[in-house]
Amino acid sequence: MNSQICLSCKGIERYLGEEEERVHALRGVSLEVEAGSVHAVVGPSGCGKSTLLYILGLLDPPDTGQVAIESKSVSHLSDDELARTRNKFIGFIFQFHFLMEDFTAQENVMIPMRKLGQLSDVQMRERANDLLEAVGLGDKLRRASRHLSGGEQQRVAIARALANDPRVILADEPTGNLDTANSDRAFELLQNIVK
Amino acid sequence: MTPPLYIALRFLTHRKRALLLSLSGVVFGVAIFICTQAQTQGFARYFIDSTIGSNGALVIRSRFRPRYEPLMVSAKGSKATMGRRLYFEGITNPNEIMRVSRQFSNIVSCSPVLRGTVSARAGFENATVDLYGIDPALHAQTTDILHQLINGNFDDFRNNTSSIIIGSRLAELLQAGVGDTVQLLAPNGEFWRFTVAGIARAGIGSIDATRIYAHARVAQALLQQPSGATMIIYKLRDPNRAPALASRFETLFQHNASSWQEREESTLQLFLTLRMSVAITVSLIILLAGFGIFNVLTMSVLAKIKEIAILRSMGYRRIDISLIFLWQGAVIAVAGSLLGCSLGALMTWGVSHIPIRLRGLLYTNYFLVTWDWRHYAFATLLALIAVFIASYVPARRAAQLPPVVTIRGSR
Ligand SMILES: Nc1ncnc2c1ncn2[C@@H]1O[C@H](COP(=O)(O)OP(=O)(O)OP(=O)(O)O)[C@@H](O)[C@H]1O
Ligand SMILES: [Mg+2]
Repeated sequence: MNSQICLSCKGIERYLGEEEERVHALRGVSLEVEAGSVHAVVGPSGCGKSTLLYILGLLDPPDTGQVAIESKSVSHLSDDELARTRNKFIGFIFQFHFLMEDFTAQENVMIPMRKLGQLSDVQMRERANDLLEAVGLGDKLRRASRHLSGGEQQRVAIARALANDPRVILADEPTGNLDTANSDRAFELLQNIVK
Repeated sequence: MTPPLYIALRFLTHRKRALLLSLSGVVFGVAIFICTQAQTQGFARYFIDSTIGSNGALVIRSRFRPRYEPLMVSAKGSKATMGRRLYFEGITNPNEIMRVSRQFSNIVSCSPVLRGTVSARAGFENATVDLYGIDPALHAQTTDILHQLINGNFDDFRNNTSSIIIGSRLAELLQAGVGDTVQLLAPNGEFWRFTVAGIARAGIGSIDATRIYAHARVAQALLQQPSGATMIIYKLRDPNRAPALASRFETLFQHNASSWQEREESTLQLFLTLRMSVAITVSLIILLAGFGIFNVLTMSVLAKIKEIAILRSMGYRRIDISLIFLWQGAVIAVAGSLLGCSLGALMTWGVSHIPIRLRGLLYTNYFLVTWDWRHYAFATLLALIAVFIASYVPARRAAQLPPVVTIRGSR
């Protein structure tokens, strides 16, 4: 099963900006990602890495081209169906860590699980604790997210991306805010999960 | 608890100042609405109870003169003749009318009254009075006269045909108390002497300043009236159905019948106008509260743009985002209404203890209030609608925010 294609895109074109500022950010991008594999998109700053990720993550529609999840094209899906697919199949880790301010670390990790609604409250809490422990934040479960350091926030974001056990994890420079030790640890964590 | 409600509660409780601000708007709007309605309706209800209690919910008067319409050729579409009915003074065959009308289920009791205007004299004071010749037992059943007695004894009146009950303001005017003598001037120029057996206060100035009750037979002799009754007054189980019954009685008995609504139309209109104008003013307060909530939620949407984008990226639908803000409005509306209803009840209670000395149109020593659950229901409904409208726009706006723009633009 591991060799199954879980994410693919074909002929993606994306223009950004209006009129004079219009930029042809993506020109005919096609790729196929197998389940259980890790891929890195590399390029200079401003080449369109983030843009591609938003499109693959169903956050942003391409101008032309198709994105498919598990070989099923998503171009005909409604906004609500896209949201459900994001919730179930995709975990995002953004370039700039993004946590819900009024919530604790643990609650942040539980937010995608609440939406999915497959676990009980106790199960969600346990899973959140396990994930936070795995990123080395087992002692800061109930810390308000705004009282965490940048690196800690990024690790919470990683734990949150894994909350619903997604088929695809899209990480946009996930270790950009971490020191080497934590960076290695996060990377190791992501790789372990893939296996 | 659904995820949007959970998030809404968290957003709300983390902005306590804004929450308190929007909550207090709703609370005061609802409370003031309830309190003002209780007052304006309090005075109106007191007036209605008093007028029905003294003059009945329905009154039958003069008999119609038969109209020979088939013989008259009226202009096409002319309705002018309808209004100008001609009457015979007094009631023809009152006992028969009372016998028949008692069959109606809405009739509790009825009392024939022989009415006339005479001069009254006591000591050096003179007054023109409205003399009601009544059957004491029937009148006591039909009106609130027993409760209106503030002095004297109804049995003394019943047992003594040469005694009278006089209105409270008339008693002040004539400086007559219980046991004093009041003389009434008969049409033949003779003064008849009566003993005051009781003093009644209906609560309505115009009644209390003019009314004298005497025994019907004595009044008939004094007024030298041939007919036994000039009117029959009715007590109804449901006074609100008086107009319909009045028009039925008119066709049935061929006598003029008027409901209390018709009789007191101008005063009732005055009360209604007052109530409406206060209601409009207070609705503006609630509207203002709604505007406050609109502002608070719009600010909240702006403050939470980042959160909205995260939630969308994690799979929350547009409707979930809308619901987060609609729930915030709903929580404010429900909590505000509940608190507002409690505060409104408290304020109403407080107002009912404010002393006010009214001796004109109405008689009262304190502010009059009514306790009506519909005021509470209506105020709550108004608040819910205002808050829903106020939160709808920010909620929609939050749902329309494209997450990528926020995520890309955020540093
Ligand atoms: N709204 C916009 N209007 C015009 N150009 C835009 C807009 N948003 C992004 N761009 C341009 O699109 C290009 C791709 O941006 P993107 O964020 O995908 O780059 P990136 O590869 O992720 O860069 P980095 O490594 O710095 O994160 C950039 O040149 C950027 O300036
Ligand atoms: Mg980027």
